[in-house]
Amino acid sequence: MSVIEKAPRPVTETPAAPRGPRIADEHGRRVRIWELALRYVLLLAVLALTIGPFLWQLSTSLKGPTEDIYSSPPRFLPGDPTLHNYERVADTIPVWDYALNSLKVAVANVVTNCVGAALAGYALARLRYRGRRVATLVFILAMLVPVEGIIIAQFTTMRELGLNNTLIGVVLPGCISALNVLLMRNAFLNLPYEIEEAAFVDGANVWQRFLRIALPSVKGTLAVVAIFAFMGAWDDFLWPLIVLSDPSKFTLTIGLNYLHGTFANDERLVAAGTIIAVAPLIALFACLQRYFFRGVGEGAVKG
Amino acid sequence: MATTSTVSRVRRQLPTSPWLFAAPGLLITGAFILYPFVSTLINSFTDRRTLVPGEFVGLANFRELLHDDMFWIGLRNSTLYVLGVVPALILLPLLLALLVQKAIPGITFFRSAFYTPVVASIVVVGLIWVWLLDDRGLVNAVLETVGVGRIGFLSDQWLLLLSAMAVTVWKGLGYYMIIYLAALGNVPRELHEAAAVDGAGAIRRFVSVTVPAVRSTMVLVGALSSVAAFKVFSEVYLLAGPSGGPAGEDTTLVMLVQRTGTGLTGRVGYASAISVVVFVVTVALMLLVLRADRREES
Amino acid sequence: MPTSRRTFAAVAVAALLMPITACGSGGDGGGSADASGKVEGEITFQTWNLRANFKDYFEDVIAAFEEKYPDTHVKWVDQPAEGYADKISADAAGGTLPDVVNVSPDLVAPLAKAGLALDLDKAAAKYEKEYLPGAWASHQVPGMEGTYAFPWYLNTGPLFYNKSLFEKAGLDPNKPPKTYGELFDQALQMAEKTDGKVATLANVPTIEDFGRYGVPLMNKEGTAFTFNDAQGVELLAKYKKLYDAKALDPQALTATPESSGKKFLTGAVAMNPGSALDLANFKKQAPSLYKNIGITDQITSTGHVNMYVMGVMVNAQTKRTPAAVAFAHFVTDSARQMSFAQRVAIFPSTAGSLDKPYFTQEDGTDETRVRVAAAKSLKSAVNYTPVLFSEQMKTALRNEVAKALQGKESPKEALDNAVNACNRLLQQQG
Repeated sequence: MSVIEKAPRPVTETPAAPRGPRIADEHGRRVRIWELALRYVLLLAVLALTIGPFLWQLSTSLKGPTEDIYSSPPRFLPGDPTLHNYERVADTIPVWDYALNSLKVAVANVVTNCVGAALAGYALARLRYRGRRVATLVFILAMLVPVEGIIIAQFTTMRELGLNNTLIGVVLPGCISALNVLLMRNAFLNLPYEIEEAAFVDGANVWQRFLRIALPSVKGTLAVVAIFAFMGAWDDFLWPLIVLSDPSKFTLTIGLNYLHGTFANDERLVAAGTIIAVAPLIALFACLQRYFFRGVGEGAVKG
Repeated sequence: MATTSTVSRVRRQLPTSPWLFAAPGLLITGAFILYPFVSTLINSFTDRRTLVPGEFVGLANFRELLHDDMFWIGLRNSTLYVLGVVPALILLPLLLALLVQKAIPGITFFRSAFYTPVVASIVVVGLIWVWLLDDRGLVNAVLETVGVGRIGFLSDQWLLLLSAMAVTVWKGLGYYMIIYLAALGNVPRELHEAAAVDGAGAIRRFVSVTVPAVRSTMVLVGALSSVAAFKVFSEVYLLAGPSGGPAGEDTTLVMLVQRTGTGLTGRVGYASAISVVVFVVTVALMLLVLRADRREES
Repeated sequence: MPTSRRTFAAVAVAALLMPITACGSGGDGGGSADASGKVEGEITFQTWNLRANFKDYFEDVIAAFEEKYPDTHVKWVDQPAEGYADKISADAAGGTLPDVVNVSPDLVAPLAKAGLALDLDKAAAKYEKEYLPGAWASHQVPGMEGTYAFPWYLNTGPLFYNKSLFEKAGLDPNKPPKTYGELFDQALQMAEKTDGKVATLANVPTIEDFGRYGVPLMNKEGTAFTFNDAQGVELLAKYKKLYDAKALDPQALTATPESSGKKFLTGAVAMNPGSALDLANFKKQAPSLYKNIGITDQITSTGHVNMYVMGVMVNAQTKRTPAAVAFAHFVTDSARQMSFAQRVAIFPSTAGSLDKPYFTQEDGTDETRVRVAAAKSLKSAVNYTPVLFSEQMKTALRNEVAKALQGKESPKEALDNAVNACNRLLQQQG
């Protein structure tokens, strides 16, 4: 995959708009009013398209038991908004226990991915040794394997290791994902080598250079990896379901599936469940987005 | 880049460390991705079923594939998916990135909001869209009020495939927008200014300045999105149902792997053969994109 | 680098060994078929999506069992609705199947063939007389001797219809269809009067519908399917007519039970099969529909309605055969099933239970009316879906039916193709 091996290019951050009475673009030129208006119209249109569906789901989850959610034409706003459905979710399933398990799995996945991918990425980008190309190829091939076909084989391996029905078993297969390794490798490749060379002349060894110089410069990419890892672990359904047997260890996505009951199916509950599942991800992203966009600026995910 | 002398000194000083650095990643990838995949490869030459070990059958599974209508439907749909989704995912996120590039007030909010579909789980996204595209859903209600009339998005085989593609594009927009945003930061503004002085309009500038400047990023987006599109499963599964739309006409290859290979009566050997085909085609797709890139460059 | 080459070689060798070591499902387990020993030890009991609503019930059942047999300990695990077959497959292939498992007949068949389900005719024959004969037989597999699960709860239900839609189409809301002929006529009228906007049925015919129409599904030996006879073709041809007139919902080809239920709730479809459970659901989710709900009997040409059966299977490889058999029987015995039925609208499979006042006396509410009617019809009900009819076969039938409805194949061709595909799959199952 030579796209990723492209020589690094200098990265210029997009400067923020200068403070002032007039609205100006990134080059300090004044933006014409009609152009600005057009931009906002387009932005709002795309906004409606991207978050509209989520708001619709949120609205359904807030509708009370007496409100007909299948009325036609549909009603956008709940007539009598209530948080009752969220309480019912918590009454039906131990949602906090499941959320805690999900959090454990997701946090573990973030830590292992950040550490493992940073180490491997650094090795692939910076260290010269024979077999490096093979190692890179291993990660690229791993990225292309269709996961749906290997899940039973993964389970058999996990059982042989005695890790079925444990949260460790849930985390392990994805704990250092190939895509993240390649992302980190790209970020390290884009760092100017001169900085590290200076440290090398000062007598710093590989570990010192990695920890003190290389790693701090790719903080943004680490944020990208962290979000990907958190999202992946939080959303996964089939793998945790297969590995875990004990309901006390279930993660949130499995737990929320109980809401599609065999005996009762309430769309309001399902909607509340989906909001519970999505909200933490959106919150996490909102907190990390500053680092995230900076990480992108480092060229983590670009050619 | 590193000078040869630096490199050799590094190696003399800490000879084992490169492998030590890469070891955890290689170990995990090897044990939980490549090792199971090798067993899939071996299974593809057997008639193994979920609860029956099976025997070596040579190329029988692959020969059966050639005569299996469902396999060809799957190959057709997965290929159509690449052809439909990839151009949209190369172009639309680039336009979106140009739209959010200018640091006008509130732009961080818009950027984050556009990224939301990427963050949400595909199952949630699927549930939402099925409800939106239903005969009596929101989209059709709107279409009816504006006088277009109801459209059976979820009952026609081609509209279903198109709807699934639309969901893929909708969910991917933000992801690739971010990638382009990073690349656009590198386009020297002098190029735009020179073009503007020459009197080039917005479209001319887009074609002659922006596109060449982000060409390598477009190749990366093309490679990533085509591999993902060929392996599509969730969007079609959620919209068209487990049996793959009317008469199974919307089945994709990975859906076929799931359908034939799972459950207590799953034909693991046959499903493995389909998995192998999927793998080979994705590797070929990757090589094709890179070859095209290199040829254009030279 | 010699190290790496050796590592790769080791990985390759390990990979080659994999298919051999991975087959843990062979009959090497330490289980014994003898259930006569002392009831003791720890066993695991797995249910299918029952924890969310019936946690207390199961905890009570387990406590009662442990009190009766003080040397036992029952660990209860519950799995969600989705992915249950995948979960059992992984456990069966990996040798981690629980001791006592909640199953349905189609799940039992492959497990029994792989030697993973205990034959109760050998291990627990003395309990047979406690259950309805039809229910006991529902976990027998054609071509194999034996019975492989205790029957548990049964379900069946009426046909619900939307009275206001009937009225709008000029049909008498108090005279719902009783026969297939009436059903098809009224459906066509409904479509005509509403310009195709309201369909009467939301689902394409499944194997169970063919059974209810009186089509013979399999030969006596259980070695081949036979639903492509003249009667089967007739049913499919009638559905084709409905589909063309939009009396069968246009989205039926991609419908799931969940989506067709939704169609009924939104008033896009006038009729929907259901169970007593759905009544509460209608009340909650679509109050305006609930006011207009009509209830009528399942339509059948054979005189026997369709029923669903749940079972409780004992893992043949359990180390605690006596305890596992005792517990499986305990959960499904008449007292336990009766108290379960009083919590949720399901029906016990134990002999005599359906004659109790709870299932025979009406008190004027819709709930009891539906319950009493269902209990009465259950005495002669049949589980039409053949035990050997796998998920893959369901998909094959569904796809061929769709081709016939779309007019790509004649009903005869479609059913011939479906029978051939199913027979091939049946042989591959071995």
